[in-house]
Amino acid sequence: MFKRVLQSLSKSLGGGKPAPAAPLPPVEAPAVSKAAPPSQPVKQSTPTPVTPAKEVQTPEELCGITAAMTKAEISAQLKLLYRRYNRGASSLNAKVRLDADSMLDAIVAVREKHFGEI
Amino acid sequence: MAQYVGIDLGTTLSGLAYLKSDGNPEIVPNADGERLTPSVVYFDAHEDVKLVGSAARDGGDPDRTIFQIKRFMDDPEHVIKIDGRDWAPSEISAMILAKLKRDCSRIIGDIDDVVITVPANFNELARKSTIAAAEMAGMKVKRLVNEPTAAAVYYAHNQGVQGRVLVYDLGGGTLDVTLLEVTGDNIRILTSEGARHLGGSNFDEILLGAYDEQYRKQTGADLYSDERHRRRVLQAAEDAKKMLSKLQRVNDTIANDKDGGIARIDLTRDGFEKLVNRMLTRTILLVEQALDSVNLKPKDIDHVVLVGGSTRLPKVKTILEKMFGKPPKSCGNVDECVALGAALFAKKSARIQEICNASYGTLAMVYNAETGEEKLMNSVVIPKNSPIPCSRTQLYLTSEDDEKLIEVDITQGEDEDSRFVDVIGRLSLEVPPGRPKGCEVAVTFSYDENQRVRALVVDKQSGRSREVAVNYKGAGVLSDEELKRRSHHLRAMRIE
Repeated sequence: MFKRVLQSLSKSLGGGKPAPAAPLPPVEAPAVSKAAPPSQPVKQSTPTPVTPAKEVQTPEELCGITAAMTKAEISAQLKLLYRRYNRGASSLNAKVRLDADSMLDAIVAVREKHFGEI
Repeated sequence: MAQYVGIDLGTTLSGLAYLKSDGNPEIVPNADGERLTPSVVYFDAHEDVKLVGSAARDGGDPDRTIFQIKRFMDDPEHVIKIDGRDWAPSEISAMILAKLKRDCSRIIGDIDDVVITVPANFNELARKSTIAAAEMAGMKVKRLVNEPTAAAVYYAHNQGVQGRVLVYDLGGGTLDVTLLEVTGDNIRILTSEGARHLGGSNFDEILLGAYDEQYRKQTGADLYSDERHRRRVLQAAEDAKKMLSKLQRVNDTIANDKDGGIARIDLTRDGFEKLVNRMLTRTILLVEQALDSVNLKPKDIDHVVLVGGSTRLPKVKTILEKMFGKPPKSCGNVDECVALGAALFAKKSARIQEICNASYGTLAMVYNAETGEEKLMNSVVIPKNSPIPCSRTQLYLTSEDDEKLIEVDITQGEDEDSRFVDVIGRLSLEVPPGRPKGCEVAVTFSYDENQRVRALVVDKQSGRSREVAVNYKGAGVLSDEELKRRSHHLRAMRIE
């Protein structure tokens, strides 16, 4: 059912097709500058800025939680985000690590608000 | 010579254990008479000596003292500048290991082959740096083993448990949660999840903030103006934290370093638990993630085992008992069980089935023929939790006509979204020109017992192939040549 076409990072960036928008967190499209030379570790730059340019977002906004969501949907969303940003806390990219910490705080805040303290 | 030796190279404390002839592991004390050695290195300004352990922690110039180097083992750009020289994190770790080797070999004989423990979520680079540190210290790493796995091995050996075990390992700098199944003498790891920068040191810093706040309120002055005094107050905060695990209320008297007066610090366990509550919630999120990743519920767990000094906090026991409906059990001495388990692991490794701790794959444009959708994704080849050693292959198609160079990015991380994975390397393969797009390329990832990854790309049409291990570059990463040179230097170094 699936056909997988190899895309190196440099091709992906030059191909004009942006990375898919994540359905959940409020992130901007990636803006990777250039690929590293072969055989050299490559770092993705500038993913997932957590702090918006215009105004400070609430933990719910950061986590993509809306008033229409059920408890089960909120729980699933928080789990997805926790997995993503907990891993991000170990990223090779310092910016990703920093952003991850802010997001983890937001995830905990939303969890405490909707499900109570541990 | 000691045949089976295990080392817990911890964020705040390190320890070495060996397997006695009766099959039981024992901690070997250092030359200072301590069972565990603080993971701290001090570069003396007057003598050509590096102090490691309590002496380094307790009195040195903070600008020449390295704490918690383990937290930077995965940072390719991290270096420590002292006396005009750059020191890589692996070199600092090597000094700690050298101290353990030199001190302990006086008691148990030569130490050559060792098992070293690492956090479950240590990435490729951090594992490679740990192996390099051991080599510089004159030891060969027989295996790296995840800390919770080592602790579980010790717990199973000591308590004779069977069934599903959840190990909650809250140490000085990291949290690891591991699920495993014990059947007879065999142990099968089901999953390991880790959280970085979540451990006792974070609690100490939070308590330091409470000291600072109370001091300011009472005296109107700053509690500390330099790093040396901040370190002293941090030590006082850590002592208070330990007391709060036993007492409901603790008082301390503290002065600043500028004659700003004395303040009486009043701390309660309840207040402290409120301060660290959000950190503890993060730990529960990790436990939930571990359970979810293997489709288990709390009721499916037979034993919850506590490892790591920070599990002495009463609230840790409370929240886990609430979650699992049974009290968690302590793994004997929570500070020593990782080293003890590592020594056991050195002998029993054949009976322990470990898993791949991260997913590895490449970037690919994935077309869904059913929906017609296409998107750039992280295409996983080896999924997290695959039993190791393992090797998996995935077929891909080339994307362009007349493609002369096939480039395969090596990704680490399970997220489908390419923004949330690390690209840890790239493999390039030259292929004959003039071919249409859509030629088949087989990408194989292999994962060894030390959790190191290799990638192989085979162009099916031409038969050309190329294989690489991931090599990192950065100011804090030593080349093979540099590693050899610095090993010689380190072995001649005076380390006390």
